[in-house]
Formats: sequence, C-alpha cells, structure tokens
Amino acid sequence: MNNAPHILVVDDELQIQRAIRTILTEKGFKVTTASRGEEGLTLAATNEPDLVILDLGLPDMDGVEVCTRLREWTQIPIIILSVRDSERDKVAALDKGADDYLTKPFGIEELLARVRVALRHSASRQGTQSKVIHAGQLVIDLAWHSIKRGDEEIKLTATEYKLLAYLAANHGRVLTHQSILANVWDPADANHTEYLRVYMRQLRKKLEVDPERPQFILTEPGIGYRFIADE
Amino acid sequence: MRNSNFISRSFQYLLAFGFIALVTVILIALREALDTTLVALLYLIPLGLITAYLGLGPGITSALVTFLTFNYFFIKPYYTFAVHRPTDVVILVIFLIVAIVISQLVGRMQASLAAATAREREATRLYELSTALAGLHNDHVISQILAKQVQEVSQGEAVEINITGGQPFAYRLPDSAQPTRSPEWVVPIEVARGVLGEILLWRAAPAITSGEKRLLQTFASQGALALERARLAQAESRARVLEESDHLKSILLSSVSHELRTPLSTIKAAASSLRSDDVHWDSAARPELIAAIDDEADHLNMLVGNLLDMSRIESGVLKPKREWNILSEIVGSVLARMKHLAGEHRIEVDVPESLPLMPVDYVQMEQVFTNLLSNSVKYAPERSVIRVRAFVEDESVHVVVRNQGPQVPQEHLERIFDKFFRITAADRVTGTGLGLSICKGIIEAHSGRLWAENVPDGLAFNFTLPLVWEGVSPPTLPMDTETE
Repeated sequence: MNNAPHILVVDDELQIQRAIRTILTEKGFKVTTASRGEEGLTLAATNEPDLVILDLGLPDMDGVEVCTRLREWTQIPIIILSVRDSERDKVAALDKGADDYLTKPFGIEELLARVRVALRHSASRQGTQSKVIHAGQLVIDLAWHSIKRGDEEIKLTATEYKLLAYLAANHGRVLTHQSILANVWDPADANHTEYLRVYMRQLRKKLEVDPERPQFILTEPGIGYRFIADE
Repeated sequence: MRNSNFISRSFQYLLAFGFIALVTVILIALREALDTTLVALLYLIPLGLITAYLGLGPGITSALVTFLTFNYFFIKPYYTFAVHRPTDVVILVIFLIVAIVISQLVGRMQASLAAATAREREATRLYELSTALAGLHNDHVISQILAKQVQEVSQGEAVEINITGGQPFAYRLPDSAQPTRSPEWVVPIEVARGVLGEILLWRAAPAITSGEKRLLQTFASQGALALERARLAQAESRARVLEESDHLKSILLSSVSHELRTPLSTIKAAASSLRSDDVHWDSAARPELIAAIDDEADHLNMLVGNLLDMSRIESGVLKPKREWNILSEIVGSVLARMKHLAGEHRIEVDVPESLPLMPVDYVQMEQVFTNLLSNSVKYAPERSVIRVRAFVEDESVHVVVRNQGPQVPQEHLERIFDKFFRITAADRVTGTGLGLSICKGIIEAHSGRLWAENVPDGLAFNFTLPLVWEGVSPPTLPMDTETE
C-alpha cells in the first residue's frame, strides 16, 4: 500500500478526526492527523502528503492563514472543512488557494467525491491533462474547440466557449465568480457577476437537457459554479 | 456702534431742548394773559412728556433748563435772573422741586417698564427654547436648537456647542469660518452628575451685558436638562430592549430545546439500537434506522441554521450582498433542491426568464423561496397545487407564492411573520417558528415588502422587491451572437 494517496487532516475536533481517519483508512488512503495549524504546516513539509483536509477554526491560527502559508511553497490540493457557512468565508478561503470547501456537517460521500476530484486535478496538473471531457451525452474537446451532444455539434459564441472551456478544464472544482470573471473576461470585470448570470443561462440552454434543473453546470450559491463531468 | 449711540443720545437732548424752546415761545406770546403760577404748571407738561419719551437724563436736564427759562422770561423783572418778589422765589423753588420729582418718578417708571419688558422677552425666549427642546432625544438636534436660540438672542458672530459627554461632537453656527480668537464668553452645560459640554459665544461688540450672561446661563441649564433627559430616555429604551430580548431568549430556549430534542431523540434511538444486538446485520430495519439518523441530522442542521440566521437578522449583521441576478435561476435551483421535500404537492412555476435582472442576494433569496415553499408544503393538503408567480409591477417585481392550505384568521395575517408565532399547537408541526420571520427580515433588508393574504382557495404570500438599486436600473448586456 505504499503508493496509496496520503491525506493530512488538520482539525482540532477529535471526534471529526477519528471519523475521517476511520473512513479514509477504510477507503485505502494513508491518513495523518494534526490538531493545530503549526503542527499541520510542519507535517505538510516533512510528510509531503498528496492532499490536505483543513479546518478553518484552529486553536492557534486561522485555517485561511494555514492555506496562505501552504501556498507559498506547494500546490497540493487543499479541501476546507468548516462550520463557517457564510459565503464570505468560503470565497476568502477559495481565493487564498483552497481547492474546495465543504460545510460541516457534511455527508461522507460528498467528502470522498471532493477528495477524488482534488486528487485527479493534482495528477492532471503534473502532465496527463485529458483534452477531451465527457459529461453525460456531452463531449467537450478542448484541443479541437468542439462540443458535441452525441453526434450533434453544438454551436457556441466565442465568450460562451471560453467560459465552458474554463469550467470544463476545472470540472469537479468550485470556481468563484471572481476567478471565472478574471479568467474568461478580464480581471477588471471581477465584480460584474451579471455577465456570468446571463452567459451561464445561455450556456445552460445550449447544453443542459433541462436548463431549469442543470446537471452539468451547477450553481454554488453565493460562491460560484462547478462543472460536473463523468469521472 | 458706540459713536452712533452717542449721536442718538445727543439727538434726544436736542429734541428735549427744542421742545422746551417751542413751549417757551408759546408761553412768552401768552405771557400777559397768564399768571406766573399757571406758567409754572404749564411748564410741567412738556417736562413730564420729555422724561416719559426721552428718558431720565434729558428729563432732569430739561427741568434745570426750564427752571432757568422760567426765571428769565416769566418772573419779573423779565430778561434777568434776578428775583424781586419773595412769592416768586417760593414759586421758583417749588417749581424746581416738582419738576425734578416728576422727572424722577416718570423716569423710574420708564426704567422699570423697560426691565419688565426685557424680563418678559427673556421669559418668552426661555419658553420657546424649552418647548423646542421638549421631547427631543437626540443630542445633535438639541445642540442645533440651542445654538440657534443662543445665536438669535445674542446676535453674536458665532456660536459653538461642544458636547463632551457620551459621543463628543461640536455644532457651530454659522458653520462657515470660525473666528480664530478665543470666544468672548463660555458657559458650561452642567448637570448634577458633571459637565456635559459648553456653549462658546463670539461677540466682540457690544460687550455682553450681565443680563445677557444671565440669560445664556439659563439657556445652558435648559440645554443641560434636555441632554440629561435624552440620556435617560436612551438608557431606558436600552433597558427595555434588553428586557425584551431577554424575554425572547427564554421563549427561544424553550422552543429550541423542544425542537432540537425531537431529532436528537430519533438519532439517539436509532444509533443505540444499531449498536446493540437487537437489530441483525441483515434486518430490514437497518437501512431504515440509518436513513432516520441521516435525515434527522440534516433536520437538526437546518434548525441550527435558522437560529443563526435569525440572530444575524436581529443583530443587523445580515447585510444582503446584492448583485444583478436572474430570478428564474434562483427559483429553479430552489425547486431542484426541494424536489424530495415537495412530496405529493404539485408546484407550478410562472417566473418568466424575460424578467429584468434583479439586485438581490442570491443565497438570501433562495432562502426566502425555500422557507415560503416549505411553509406551503407543510400546511397545504397533500396533492394540492402550489403556484409561484412573478411579474413586473411599476419599478419593482411582485412575487406571489400561493397554496391551497388553510386560511389564516384576518387578525393573525400580520402576526404569522413574528418570531415563534404559531396558529397550530407547537407539537403538531415541526420547525422553529422562525422561517417566515427570516423571510421578512431578508425582504426588508432588500427594501422590499412581504405580506400574506387569504385567497378564495387558500393562502398567498406576496412580496415586492425594487428593481432600482442605488439609483441604477437593471442592466441589459450586449451579447455576442457570432458562433465559433
């Protein structure tokens, strides 16, 4: 089991630590735990884990601070796990480099799904990025700029394509409004969420089976969007 | 100022002398027909008038002048100050005494009349001030009125009210440039407990009289009383708010402990029976118990979330993060999430995509729809229809969530938005009794209005939200249409 992914859990609640450790170990991950921010930072440097699960309310420092300090030297995926449910806290953590955010209490299936997405993304960052993304009937070919539903070609405008390409390339991850606007439009447009609302509606109409109940482009209320592709 | 005063005084003396000269000329013309004593009596008339209208100074001086002219023109031998007959001496002396006494008397009466008028004016000013200050509970307004009155009474160049107690601030009149020199007069605004501030007055000339100083002192103490009253009223309302919130907290605690215990007891019962040997691994009860734990944990989480939201609304922390949003997207996402909660109810939605973009907080609006819909689901009978409709009305969007549930007695239509208000007994439905008051809090934070009304076959929740946000109308965006 030497090449089992190594996960570092930084949380000061021992019950949560125990539950996550039990389940993740059961699922074949190697788990290390820490209760304090400093301890977590040290373990991250010495053990080189593949992923960090991080609580925001740590006794010695704020989780966002841990996030910032990790990002000074490493790009390993970070999943935030916190009782703080305000959108401002979530966006702050995501903007400081966290990859995903899960509010306590959470379902374990959801945590496992997020862990898998995060690990796959870190793998693809190291080189093996797939250029073709499948989502249900949709096939998105980022190399050829083509989108098909089954055999039927879907026509997108330039902006719509740029938007979809950004979402699809980061499928499974939550993307904040700001990061989408900055990447697809211009950093100067980071406050114009109305662009996003309108273009997302257009995009959903072209891609989704039922645009009112989207399956692929999900809204993360108050935070941003997440594109769901096949595993 | 002083110069013109001197001129007006000299003018008064000239007027007095002129009047005496006129009377003297008339009397000389009638000299042969009049007796000396009659002349003396006639002379007293102008003297009285002069003192009454021109004051004590001109009066006394005129008395002396008249004494001389009387002697010179009317006592034989004429045109000399010599007096031959002893009776004339007596007349002269009596005339002088009577003239001076009359002048004195009239003058004193005048002075006391002037003082009375001044006192009456002061009293009127004070009355005006105390009426203006009555019932005021705001330090700023009190200082403004005080400054205005001081300015009107004193006619000074500038007035400043400095409040030091509580939150310090200064109010100036006129609010333009302040004289750079130090003020001519400073009155502390003082109450028994200490100094609350001070009144500064700039007026170089004329110098502030002791009467004015006395009046300003009274003003200061009136101001002090008003400020003190304001403070007491504030303290009292704070105490009342605290008492009310204390009362609410105790209702909350009893309601919450009941609400929280219900899911907790389910969880506890399910978990402990799973742990014991009573339930076999392959028993059909197992997945059911596990589902119960999962569902009740979600329910518990929702309750805690509601409580948190309510406390955020109450403390004013819940500021909407407003952005231009598409209402149909919000409703759609709520419906997608509520699919399994809606049960047997049919939800019909008429929220056109063509509605303008709305300046709302996405998450909070989701919550409004979730709460209104789950309220409808909870009370309306199974298989009934719930309708959601939105349309533009004037400068706002009107949303109606209409169910076929039981109607609410007219007198309770307002109260259903109060915290913990229930029409049915608390143990018959689940929830915190907070859902609707959270909706109201959110809609009002968006400067909208939320109300309920009975409709022929049920109950309708209505709310309106303004489309114009900070003076800006909903944007329409240029779309690119060209495909790749």
